[in-house]
Amino acid sequence: MSSPGQDVLAHTVRGVDHAAFPTFDPRATITFYRDILGFPVVHATCALGWGPGDHPDFIHFFFDIGSGDRLAFFYYFGVEPYRDTGIPDLLHRARHLAIHVDTEDDLLEYRRRLDASDWPCELQVRHETVESIYVTDPNGYLMEITRPLRAITVEDDIDANLSVDALMEVAAEPDPSLEKFFARKAKLISERYAGEPEPVTFA
Amino acid sequence: MTTLFVLDVADFRPLAEVAGKDPDVTVRRRGPYLEVAAPGLIRIDRNAVGCRNAVWYSAVAAVKDGRVSRWDKSELVVEPTGAGG
Repeated sequence: MSSPGQDVLAHTVRGVDHAAFPTFDPRATITFYRDILGFPVVHATCALGWGPGDHPDFIHFFFDIGSGDRLAFFYYFGVEPYRDTGIPDLLHRARHLAIHVDTEDDLLEYRRRLDASDWPCELQVRHETVESIYVTDPNGYLMEITRPLRAITVEDDIDANLSVDALMEVAAEPDPSLEKFFARKAKLISERYAGEPEPVTFA
Repeated sequence: MTTLFVLDVADFRPLAEVAGKDPDVTVRRRGPYLEVAAPGLIRIDRNAVGCRNAVWYSAVAAVKDGRVSRWDKSELVVEPTGAGG
């Protein structure tokens, strides 16, 4: 189950066409994404009697989030608003959409727009390779806008692949843990780079 | 040998450099990794490394014949276990 030696599948997908979510507050959603963040509306499907019996009429509307990618919402007429208040905070934080910007200036401009609105930025943090701002949108969805702090290198990609190989192995066994993961990954590193290591001096 | 692997990129290289100041620690390059090894404990002081939080807490790539016994805002300690992975 190791990545080296696996047949390489042709990789022809090209980013996000659209990610779609339900909304029960289309006015706040349009205000937030179009008027505050400035994401252009690029498509809307108005469906009369097209949906299933309990919600036949809906509007499916799309915002441009750059590079031809789109964020879409469904608004169903006549459907009682639903909000799952029982979602653990862990899941709320984990499920999110991260939208890319290229520069710090761009990130701070989006932060400025949020901070001037009813949905101010909740958190700004420098992660290991990106810096991000976070906001919960009017629907309760966590959204991130992020800019790169450094280029991702071939070493990062190699490390990521060894990490998921180790995770595949450890997660197949009872009681997976980070300690077991680190040990398994060390074994994979030692096998893959089995030669004599080179001495290192720091300038 | 207690062995800590960190990826040899600019973010994580300072950890290996700080660890290597201990005369018991050797630092060698294995593939894209810096292999930090010692017969006993490996102890890395956070202030000496000087990296930000997210880099500090994502610096460990792998650990051989040891376990992370402390990894907080002050230091990273890898202690020997004597057992392979």
